[in-house]
Amino acid sequence: MDPRSITDALVRRMRAISGKTEEELQVLRGLPITVKAFRPDQAVVREGDRPTECCLIAAGFCLRSKTTSSGQQQILSIHIPGEIPDLQSLYLQVMDHDLVALTNCTLGLISHAVVRQLFRRQPEIAEMFWRDTLIDAAMFREWLVNIGQRPAPSRLAHILAELRDRLRVVGLADGDSFEMPLTQERIGEAMGVTAIHANRVIKQLRADKIVDVHRGQVTILDEAKFQELADFDARYLHQSPTL
Amino acid sequence: MPRFHFHIQENGRFIEDEEGQEFHDWDQVRREAVATGTSIARDAFVNGTARQVTVHVNRDGSPFMKVSISLDVEDQPVPSAEA
Repeated sequence: MDPRSITDALVRRMRAISGKTEEELQVLRGLPITVKAFRPDQAVVREGDRPTECCLIAAGFCLRSKTTSSGQQQILSIHIPGEIPDLQSLYLQVMDHDLVALTNCTLGLISHAVVRQLFRRQPEIAEMFWRDTLIDAAMFREWLVNIGQRPAPSRLAHILAELRDRLRVVGLADGDSFEMPLTQERIGEAMGVTAIHANRVIKQLRADKIVDVHRGQVTILDEAKFQELADFDARYLHQSPTL
Repeated sequence: MPRFHFHIQENGRFIEDEEGQEFHDWDQVRREAVATGTSIARDAFVNGTARQVTVHVNRDGSPFMKVSISLDVEDQPVPSAEA
């Protein structure tokens, strides 16, 4: 990947959520970044690690997850290009969950020292990332409501609707189709159900001609029915500072 | 390792598990089957779309375990005022 394009998705996303211009975000393009490739299922950082850098997803998908003492895994969030899913390690030294590459990923590693220096020198950039962290928290609140309160088909539809909206911001979803590279088992872990139950939901949504989830690709078959099922209101994503 | 398939029967509807999964022991299979059946039943029973959910577990193609979950809702007669 061209070193300059490492920050493309980040700049694009930050422009959307902060309303800043390309010029105002130029400083992000100049950051010293180490580019590293990750394979599917490779851990980026594990619970208990003390990372000294945070990672920007330039290409590919990652997920955050936590495993109970009896070995049950819960996926907490899915991450896409332009996101820095372990930004919290900047101030919370010990990782309290895992960050894992879901697909082949190109990650840009940025040292904590560099980010701290940037935040001190340019508080408006620090404020922008603070806003981004709060949006991250808002997504977790929504995820909690989703897992705790919605029936399984709505739960899956909601996860898909959110992912589509976020992918759109970085130009990775247009039309009715987008990528969601989760296996049936992983979809189950995201929904908090077994893989077989996830399979049953996927088949039902396909049979009902609402949405087709197949081999990591999602195709919306009936937008109106999909919207109704997903019970999705994008407000919590705070994708524009003017909203 | 043996491969297990979990086919779901919800009232009359039959949903096949083509992929299957590998498990180490009987208890893991039981847990998976019961967890799957109860979580499917929860949605279906609350929505009123089924009163019976059965998980048919096959081991390498042959029947291995059957987990049945059924719902029984009974109205209770209101005691009459005169009594």
